[in-house]
Amino acid sequence: MALSGMRGLSVFISDIRNCPNKEQERLRVDKELGNIRTRFKSEKGLTHYEKKKYVWKMLYIHMLGYDVDFGHMEAVSLISAPKYPEKQVGYIVTSSLLNENHDFLRLAINTVRNDIIGRNETFQCLALTMVGNIGGREFSESLAPDVQKLLISSSCRPLVRKKAALCLLRLYRKNPDVVNIDGWADRMAQLLDERDLGVLTSSTSLLVALVSNNHEAYWSCLPKCVKILERLARNQDIPQEYTYYGIPSPWLQVKAMRALQYFPTIEDPNIRRSLFEVLQRILMGTDVVKNVNKNNASHAVLFEALALVMHLDAEKEMMSQCVALLGKFIAVREPNIRYLGLENMSRMLMVTDVHDSIKRHQAQIITSLKDPDISIRRRALDLLYGMCDVSNAKDIVEELLQYLSAADFAMREELSLKAAILAEKFAPDLSWYVDVILQLIDKAGDFVSDDIWFRVVQFVTNNEDLQPYAAAKAREYLDKPAIHETMVKVSAYLLGEYSHLLARRPGCSPKEIFTVIHEKLPTVSTTTIPILLSTYAKILMHTQPADPELQKIVWAIFNKYESCIDVEIQQRAVEYFALSKKGAALMDILAEMPKFPERQSALLKKAEDAEVDSAEQSAIKLRAQQQMSNALVVTDQRPANGAPSDCWRA
Amino acid sequence: MIRFILLQNRQGKTRLAKYYVPLEDSEKHKVEYEVHRLVVNRDSKFTNFVEFRTHKVIYRRYAGLFFSLCVDITDNELAYLECIHLFVEILDHFFSNVCELDLVFNFHKVYLILDEFILAGELQETSKRAIIERMGELEKLE
Repeated sequence: MALSGMRGLSVFISDIRNCPNKEQERLRVDKELGNIRTRFKSEKGLTHYEKKKYVWKMLYIHMLGYDVDFGHMEAVSLISAPKYPEKQVGYIVTSSLLNENHDFLRLAINTVRNDIIGRNETFQCLALTMVGNIGGREFSESLAPDVQKLLISSSCRPLVRKKAALCLLRLYRKNPDVVNIDGWADRMAQLLDERDLGVLTSSTSLLVALVSNNHEAYWSCLPKCVKILERLARNQDIPQEYTYYGIPSPWLQVKAMRALQYFPTIEDPNIRRSLFEVLQRILMGTDVVKNVNKNNASHAVLFEALALVMHLDAEKEMMSQCVALLGKFIAVREPNIRYLGLENMSRMLMVTDVHDSIKRHQAQIITSLKDPDISIRRRALDLLYGMCDVSNAKDIVEELLQYLSAADFAMREELSLKAAILAEKFAPDLSWYVDVILQLIDKAGDFVSDDIWFRVVQFVTNNEDLQPYAAAKAREYLDKPAIHETMVKVSAYLLGEYSHLLARRPGCSPKEIFTVIHEKLPTVSTTTIPILLSTYAKILMHTQPADPELQKIVWAIFNKYESCIDVEIQQRAVEYFALSKKGAALMDILAEMPKFPERQSALLKKAEDAEVDSAEQSAIKLRAQQQMSNALVVTDQRPANGAPSDCWRA
Repeated sequence: MIRFILLQNRQGKTRLAKYYVPLEDSEKHKVEYEVHRLVVNRDSKFTNFVEFRTHKVIYRRYAGLFFSLCVDITDNELAYLECIHLFVEILDHFFSNVCELDLVFNFHKVYLILDEFILAGELQETSKRAIIERMGELEKLE
């Protein structure tokens, strides 16, 4: 357990561990930092060995969570040390303490470059590693050509070349221009002929990055990728050390398949056939085994193969095989596989052919919506949202609503928004739609934005048949002892407009309607009161012949609010009072709202925006944005073929 | 790609932190706190994947230590899960039956091993043998 040769460091670590509390630890750390600071500043100067010891201590202190800014300079200066042990510390600690935004790092560029182009292989590796881990744009511009040289140099050991490959990858990510495509495309293809699997693994990562930005230039790499995959899948002279629980480098298989997903098509029929053979074997030949690691590794390959199959837009038969597989997966006990089954099913939805086969698994997916694991619940919600259409909308939305009461806060907003959108897009009939929205408001009022209730009002306004129904429902909700403020707003509005349609029903006389609304006034905030005032005015207006008792009560309310400090409330109170005194002339002014013109659903727009703004983006949307494959292009919402869109013909 | 790797114990102490994206110290502390909270509260029967900000964290617990990898949302989850396991196997081989204390007192060696295993946020080498051999070479130079 002891450190070789750095006793001071061991002792320090032990001291820290022996501190009985945080206070003591802080004291010990401060003492050490003070000591280090003094020694660094002292005239005598430190031996490289001492510097090494102090810089490691600083890293340890940094890991504990303390600030060690003053030591950056020292760490960077060690990079220029002549001997390996000290140089190593300089490089490694610098990588941990600093990042590309630190100016100090620039001071090291020359030394780093010298190490890279120099003869000392160990120094080359140190430099490549640091640049690969924390290099920024400046490093990119000065070092990329040298790194490229190392990568293709046959006199360099695989050790150096694999580091060069990944170092170049980083530099490329920081500044894509450093890889001159014209010269590089052929080289890249050659690199894929590499025998050493370590170098090949690194080079393939580089390839994935290059191809993701520009597949046109790298067509020659496509057949090579397929060859790599074939070699691995058939376990053709793969050294034992690259076999993981019997599986030939699962990671390289995954990388190769990932690279292939950036080419839109495979035109050569031979290559296409070979690839499909490999994929077919993976799809059908991956068994579930007891060993967890082997299982994970083989399924890692399987899921990537699935993604590739989807991308290649395979024949219907293969796609059904995929769906069948996924159907199995979403029902297994193992949570990781279940999760991935759900996630991949969502991705499959982009391939519209399989919509029907996926719907067969609806019951299982709904069960997953209630899984104790939030990761699985999220995937299930995404999938349900994606697979909803006219035939299953009612079931799905009702499940979502039911689940809403039990859902944790993290999911409620997303659930509400999605339920509202689905209800609107696929409602079998409008009264159901109204029911759903009102239920939403009732169960999750806090998470239901104004857009949602404005929308339901628009629908009701535009559909005369719906109006008595909506008003009656609103009336029902008002009977509940405690309702959400949004419910008060929407109910008051609807009843204001349409309660006169209910006048003959029990409990729905103007006076009764007014009373039940007014009871809620003390429970609401100043944003709702203006709506209530409008409602009272409308009720009065619709009560023909006039009810003098009701008039008196309402006028008293208007009078009361004439001196309200809120300007909107005050204005409405004053104006409604004056208007209502005018009697019959009021009819025109407070007539029912005209129909709303056709407009894009604010909800759908919100869903798109929400998914861009919120911290928890839907995995599918992000995946669709990041992968430029044709098969996975997110088509705009499928045309709604349910009733709601028809009713928009005003 | 891998954005960062964290080794934390159940109390939240960081035993190893490697970042492949530039973050300031204060941001790092926040991240370490949040990730710890996220993984320590998850039931062992749950998945090893959990959404974190606009990325995801793949994690697994080994005895008292949580190994967490933050990756892009499009990355292959199971591949990275086994990447964690491979790393643990390498550490186990290098330290002969590794335990948390080994990693504490030899943290500098752990960084060295990590730098042979992952670079620029991608897998560099997947042969345990190659990595252990390299570590042997390096020890001779000390």
